Amino acid sequence: MKTMQAPNQPTWRHWLRGNAFLFILLIGLILFPFIVGALTDSSPFGVPRGDRMIMRGESVRWQSVLIEVYILAILAMSYNLLFGFTGVISFGHALFFGVAGYVLGLMLEFTAIETGWALLLGALAGIAICGVLGLVVGLVTLRLKGVYFAIFTLAVAEMAFIFFGRWQLTRAEDGFAITELPLWLDPSQNRLNFYYVTLIAVVITFLFIRRLVNSPTGAVFKAIRENEDRAQSMGFNTLNYKLLSLTIAGMLAGAAGLLQVILNKKVGPELLGVSYTVDPLLMTIIGGIGTFSGPIIGAGGLHFLDVFLRDAELNLGGLVIDIANIWALLLGIIFILTVIVFPFGIIGTWQRWRARRKPPA
Amino acid sequence: MTGQRASLIAIVVILGGLVGVSALNSSSPGDFGITLLSGLFQGMLLFLVASGLSIVFGLMDVLNLAQGSYFMVGAYVAYDAQHAGGLIDLTAVIPDPNLRFIIAVIAAVLAGALLGYLLERGLLRPLYSRPIFQLVLTFGVSLVALELVKFIWTTTPYSWTELFGVRESFFELFGQRFSTYRLFVVGMGGVLIVTIALLLQRSRIGIIIRAGVEDREMVQALGINVRAVFTLVFTLGCAIAAFGGAIAAPFLGASTTLGNAFLLQSIAVVVLGGMGSYSGTAVGSVLVGLAIAVAQDVAIGTDFAALPSITPMLLLVLVLLLRPSGLFGNSR
Repeated sequence: MKTMQAPNQPTWRHWLRGNAFLFILLIGLILFPFIVGALTDSSPFGVPRGDRMIMRGESVRWQSVLIEVYILAILAMSYNLLFGFTGVISFGHALFFGVAGYVLGLMLEFTAIETGWALLLGALAGIAICGVLGLVVGLVTLRLKGVYFAIFTLAVAEMAFIFFGRWQLTRAEDGFAITELPLWLDPSQNRLNFYYVTLIAVVITFLFIRRLVNSPTGAVFKAIRENEDRAQSMGFNTLNYKLLSLTIAGMLAGAAGLLQVILNKKVGPELLGVSYTVDPLLMTIIGGIGTFSGPIIGAGGLHFLDVFLRDAELNLGGLVIDIANIWALLLGIIFILTVIVFPFGIIGTWQRWRARRKPPA
Repeated sequence: MTGQRASLIAIVVILGGLVGVSALNSSSPGDFGITLLSGLFQGMLLFLVASGLSIVFGLMDVLNLAQGSYFMVGAYVAYDAQHAGGLIDLTAVIPDPNLRFIIAVIAAVLAGALLGYLLERGLLRPLYSRPIFQLVLTFGVSLVALELVKFIWTTTPYSWTELFGVRESFFELFGQRFSTYRLFVVGMGGVLIVTIALLLQRSRIGIIIRAGVEDREMVQALGINVRAVFTLVFTLGCAIAAFGGAIAAPFLGASTTLGNAFLLQSIAVVVLGGMGSYSGTAVGSVLVGLAIAVAQDVAIGTDFAALPSITPMLLLVLVLLLRPSGLFGNSR
């Protein structure tokens, strides 16, 4: 990974060389809507009708698929910060995702604040509340053994799910639609703008987590993951570091929840459902626990698989099964198999394979 | 010693508080009796899920997040065996519904035991060196179990339609009709509490299990095959959970929400009683069961429709805040 820096080379060029693959990928993703548009002869902006835009055509359709991947990738990266780098396992990540979504939705629909300000305030408040929530949940349980934290997050997320599922103000199980959004961000009008917003969010999250984990603080995170007692006896207050990791992870998951609400223009208890805990867990494990790009690869891989298989059918000797009906079952089986036979995930296994091929000089 | 006395006082206070609230809230002795009986009913069902959870955690350090799924599977298998149609149709072979109910319960227990054995031997055993992944794995198993049940029996909940002996009879007390079946389940739960306690206290295998909870390495060093004990205990725990599901089905029906609900409630029980403590689990079950019944009573006619479902989680949060080692747990 680390190559010696040539003395006369400017740092930025060195940086660019170290991240060449990511850089090319990023350019590809920036151009993606236009490439698909050119290939399928459809406009990346949608079809104009009167003074409105109709979101129709292949380019626009694939934009929304990728937006979903980006949102899941942010969620999975936040999960990975907690589970992969700090070794703290949560079964209630959907809590942060959903609560931030509800805060934004309430701010946009249930207050008289002007739309643009409501969006800004809602987003900030949502992320801040998630941070506080992470802090509180952590203060209660992070002193205890890891299993208590897992249980506690499971219980709190379930409690929030039940609570929001019955809250009359937000129309209980049905949830409510977001009708007020600034035009430039509205994914049903200017999806391309929203595409770039989510892409920027992914890039920022990625760089932020990489910077954090490679910092001295991140080194303590990893020490806690490897052996918490030892980190403690070296003089680090591990509770504070775990709290920090959880708070940041909660805020990032909240940010993903905000984007999800804007994309679907709907807020409902499904945001707090168990699938938003399972998905990032699964994506992190399949992509590679404790790697930087693993969660993104996992999110992309699983979501594309989902999209491609959604309309497929499985023919078992006369018994025809829609993949869509058994998708969750397949995911669960993939999950179990990965945990048992493939614990390092795609990126982790690849890194190990490369390390074995190139023995350190 | 003082810790034990404090626990006992805490239990008496909580129990007294629950009964007091219930007594104040109910208008007649009959209402009060109903709350009490339904609390005990819920408590016994919880005990059937929580006992396996607690012993397995104490012995193997594995928190089986799929324990609730065994309860759910037990309920579905029993429903399926009892009623016409479905996977196994016994109505033609065994026309007597009473006898068929016994067969249905046995089928559920066997299914639970088999699935428990497979989970421990096939999936958990390779992971004893990676404990955090065991937790992740049992979580995954619970999802697969839920999806499999949805796939086989669809998502529509079943309500028990076929009446038989104890299920249809009632008895009267204070001018209020009580279902005999609830009393039957409470009795079954009581019998099981005593049986398992005797098994743990008096039998050779029980002594090994208790020793294993204290110190696993030492038991192994004494030449006992701890792995085999693990498998046995895990299988039994799952079988008991499935048994709970089977005897709950005539009252609660079979639905996909059973698994998660009972898992969270029994986790609350286990944490309240103290992880790995058998008597703690027994007492915790009764307390949580009563708390849910009282909450149901209080919630009627108010806006807190979600109160009964949130109660176990609130208890869990409170216990973790005040005394994380639970009523009977060692403080560690």
